Amino acid sequence: MDDAEAIKRCQQGDREVFRHLVERYQKRAVAHAMAILFNRDDAEDAVQEAFIDAFKAIATFDTSRMFYPWFYVLLRNRCYKMMAGRRPTESLDEALLLDSQRGVTEDTRLALEKALHSLTREEREIVCLKYFSGLSYDDLATHLQVPRGTVMSRLFNARRRLKGKLTRVVLREQEV
Amino acid sequence: MKELTCEDVLMAQMAAADGEEPAFSKAQLAAHMTGCANCQNELNQLLTLDRVLAGHTLAEPHVNLWPAIENRIAKPVLSWKPFALIGLLLIIYKLLEMLPARDLGMAFKLVPLVIVTLLFVLIKENPFRINTELVMER
Repeated sequence: MDDAEAIKRCQQGDREVFRHLVERYQKRAVAHAMAILFNRDDAEDAVQEAFIDAFKAIATFDTSRMFYPWFYVLLRNRCYKMMAGRRPTESLDEALLLDSQRGVTEDTRLALEKALHSLTREEREIVCLKYFSGLSYDDLATHLQVPRGTVMSRLFNARRRLKGKLTRVVLREQEV
Repeated sequence: MKELTCEDVLMAQMAAADGEEPAFSKAQLAAHMTGCANCQNELNQLLTLDRVLAGHTLAEPHVNLWPAIENRIAKPVLSWKPFALIGLLLIIYKLLEMLPARDLGMAFKLVPLVIVTLLFVLIKENPFRINTELVMER
């Protein structure tokens, strides 16, 4: 069953079909929430709340649109609400944020996670969506609800800051 | 024509590296890059960062949130009607309380009216609705 079909049935009152959407997107959503919150438990809570929000608002969803970008807006609102008023955590969560491909050392992965952790949430979010979810600038603009120009400048600033945070050793390792 | 800053150029170069349409022409960018050692150096570092990031993906953890979500969405939504009824009763009580002590007769006159109104609210019937079936029988 595709998303549009599932959503139409949800809109007609079939609650059970909502399971299809939860099971299809929960892993990706938790990974994205982790990228913002850097904490596994908080990420799961935020995703759960976002799915409840989505269920409540499903009647207003336009089935000609894609589900996940719409859901992502709800998810990041939940994440930001959860972070509001909280002090940024000093330590990294034990749960892994990144998977490394072959040939990448554990030290590089840890250094990258640490560097990502030191970015602001907006910077971290845009880097994760761009590099790890492979979104284009237009997709980023849709997900983040900002103009394309803002995507370009935010991404550029995030890259610059990330470059500054990563140790020279890590960058030198990768130089060809 | 506006003179390009290093930031403009680097941003456009990175957009091009991402496969996006840069805001400036290749010739404009090349002209700046050839004469700016700082930009060459920074672009190299940014492209190296690209390679570092490209070697990673977001870890997708094993989760099963459906049981918790199912419980939450299965709960019946609280209707506003009982609260409205309680509110109405409280308003009536307050009105009765505010009536002057001498004129209790007025309060007693209102009580049956309130009871009948509440009765119709409870049985969800509109006393002013015209029963079309009876009209047809005539």
